[in-house]
Amino acid sequence: MSSTVLSLSNVSKRYGDFTAVNRINLSIPKGSVYGFLGPNGAGKTTTIRMILDIIRPDEGEIEVLGCKSAMQVRDRIGYLPEEKGLYKKMKVWAIIAYFATLKGIHRKDAKQRAFELLERYGLKDFANSTVESLSKGMGQKVQVLSSIAHNPELIILDEPFSGLDPVNQEVLEQLIKDLKDNGQTVIFSTHIMQHAERLCERLLLITQGCKVFDGTVDEARAIIPRRVILECQNDVAALADLDGVLSVCETPVSGDGRIPGTRQWELYVKEHTNPQLILQHCFQHGISLSRFDFTQTSLHDVFVHLVGQQAREHKFR
Amino acid sequence: MRVTLLIAWREYLENVKTKGFWIGVLLVPVIFFMIFQLSTRLATATPTRYYLLIDQTGQYAESVETAIRREHQRRVMQDFMRYLQENRSDTANLAISNEPANQMDQLLDDFGNDEVAALDDWLSNGGLAFALQMARPYLRPDTPDFEEPRQQFIAAVPPPELDITAPAETIVETLRPFLNGEKRLPVGDNNVSLFALILIPAEVNNDIVRPMTAMGGLPTDSGTRGVQYWAGNLTDTRLPNAIQTSINNAIRQQEYMDRNIDVNAVRDVQRTRLPVSRMDPSKVAGDEQVSVADTFRQWAPMGFVYLIFISLMQSVQYLLSNTIEEKSNRIIEVLLASVTPGELMMGKLLGIGATGITTIVAWLASFFAFIQLYQTIETTMIVQILDVLLGSDLIPYFVFYYVCCYTLYAGIFLAIGSLCNTLKEAQSLMMPLMMVMMVPILTMSFIAQDPNGTMARVMSWIPLFTPFTMMNRAAAQPPMIDVVGTTVLLVVSTITVLWLSGRVFRQGILRTGQPPRIVELWRMMRRRTG
Repeated sequence: MSSTVLSLSNVSKRYGDFTAVNRINLSIPKGSVYGFLGPNGAGKTTTIRMILDIIRPDEGEIEVLGCKSAMQVRDRIGYLPEEKGLYKKMKVWAIIAYFATLKGIHRKDAKQRAFELLERYGLKDFANSTVESLSKGMGQKVQVLSSIAHNPELIILDEPFSGLDPVNQEVLEQLIKDLKDNGQTVIFSTHIMQHAERLCERLLLITQGCKVFDGTVDEARAIIPRRVILECQNDVAALADLDGVLSVCETPVSGDGRIPGTRQWELYVKEHTNPQLILQHCFQHGISLSRFDFTQTSLHDVFVHLVGQQAREHKFR
Repeated sequence: MRVTLLIAWREYLENVKTKGFWIGVLLVPVIFFMIFQLSTRLATATPTRYYLLIDQTGQYAESVETAIRREHQRRVMQDFMRYLQENRSDTANLAISNEPANQMDQLLDDFGNDEVAALDDWLSNGGLAFALQMARPYLRPDTPDFEEPRQQFIAAVPPPELDITAPAETIVETLRPFLNGEKRLPVGDNNVSLFALILIPAEVNNDIVRPMTAMGGLPTDSGTRGVQYWAGNLTDTRLPNAIQTSINNAIRQQEYMDRNIDVNAVRDVQRTRLPVSRMDPSKVAGDEQVSVADTFRQWAPMGFVYLIFISLMQSVQYLLSNTIEEKSNRIIEVLLASVTPGELMMGKLLGIGATGITTIVAWLASFFAFIQLYQTIETTMIVQILDVLLGSDLIPYFVFYYVCCYTLYAGIFLAIGSLCNTLKEAQSLMMPLMMVMMVPILTMSFIAQDPNGTMARVMSWIPLFTPFTMMNRAAAQPPMIDVVGTTVLLVVSTITVLWLSGRVFRQGILRTGQPPRIVELWRMMRRRTG
């Protein structure tokens, strides 16, 4: 079996004059957890729908589990759409079992599997309730379970965390980790960077239908230089000459209760610069620091850095 | 196919598991049963009506009273015949028996052929007492006693303050409060309301209309003339009809006598009759006589057309609401990751089709249960008619046209459902199609009367009408060209509609926003993929 479960080459989709997805290339290795990130309307859902062959691309090729169409391997794929919905009158176990039978599982095994999953993820007591009696979050959990009940090799979850409380977000994170441990490949799209940071090995960042980043989380973080924030009464622009410091700029002081005359400085440093050197330099030159903040670049910063401007423009267009 | 059947099964269960479905299914036989019960009970449930007869001429009172008595005796005789048919000891078919084997059958046969003559015989033989005595040996041992129906019209005594010789206007004024229900008449220990006043004024004979006096037109004055019938109830016409007939009979008898014509000879002449045997040329020699079942068979297709129509209306609701539920709940996207739109559409079509068939089977089952459990002379007759019907070629026609009609319309309605996000949107789109479906129902009785006429033939060739119209014509041996031609056209149209609906469904099902315009719809039908 190929070690790549999904590959997209030059895939595009247009709706009239609007290009929803523009020449996206992608390759997802087997057994990985892959994050689709991007602002609203970036083309994530369209890409997912094309992967699943619910809609056809106008250009490009998609290969899923070694086949040209996901329909040919539909029993080996699990899918949770962005807009969640279930048959309201059906019982919880029955709906999980129903979707599993649609994916080729025998009726009896499907029922057994439904009860197993409900027990494992804390919904055993609701097995015989109808879907309409569940809360939104619980309904969403049920839908996640129905997308994995047939033990698919590739699982695509579109915004799985939206609408879940922090406890259930953790349950879902654990579920994704379980799937990964089981050797299954998971692709999920999200707005919440912390989940992507914690779960994903690789990320795809798209905006306005175009790929802007595809790589590991560390590679993403490396896009933005690391930052040191200093607060003092002095001018520290001269730190720019220090080895490993890329640039220094003064930024408005954030927060209240500062001593009058306090200035805030942002230093961008090279990837492997030791912050101790900066601290040492300040000490040697008698610069009295009221704050020294050396933080790792978050995915959030990368996201805002890469798509922030476009997303804001898009929002007000 | 496996997936299609799974979808069909879920659709089917979802529909038949709802309370609404079974209420809908059971309501039809319950209503049927209630109508049946009511129609038999209502006749006896009519309250006793009290009338006041004031005959200032003294000539007609007896005739009117005789007529009312005769009307009562007619009901007694009818009830007795029914009692006899239901309780006779042998179970032979009485309702459409042609060979009377004994005296009782003779009575029943006479009753069936000429009720007026039978009533004369009934009265001259001594009425109920004689009939009961004659019938007793033929009744089953456990037969209950015959219950004579209540008198429906009883003569009341005029109130003491009324002067029956006073002018008509005075009498009416005196009795008006009684007729309006403001006052009640004492009858025995009770006070009753007066139903009607029959006032025959002293000079009524001056108003007799004869052909020679009526020449040149009806009387010119617009005042009240002839016998006056005063009653607030305008719908119960039994009493005024009996009065009119009886008084006119009395006048005519008087006229015969005045002209020296033998009254008995006239009566005999009036009773002379020649039966008309209705024959069907399409039946085998010797068996051409048209029976009740044959007539029923000619009308039965209308029943089948109704059945198709009602079942289709029910299915349409399910087709639309289930599709729209999946669309608005966004279940559709999960489904489409597991099944193709074609499989989904076919699954729905089959599942809801099975729901429709379940409805029809449930109706038929409750109908059969009803005629088994509730055996009366009418239901026995229905059983015989059903035997004829089930053995006829109408059933295969019905099955074929039902399947085609359902598939044709279901295809269109599924496409409509796939384009709409709410039932409200769907209703405005389906309105034109509903109007189309009404056409065969509105023209149904015309087509039944002239099954091979121009209208029937033209409508048969319009695929949306074909199943209804051809079903309607099924008992009338339509020309072979119509049967074969319309069948081919219908099958081809159904397949085409399914194919086009499939295309629309595929694209419509993931659509959001307003339903498409006609041009857009046309584009969807032509486009190959989504």
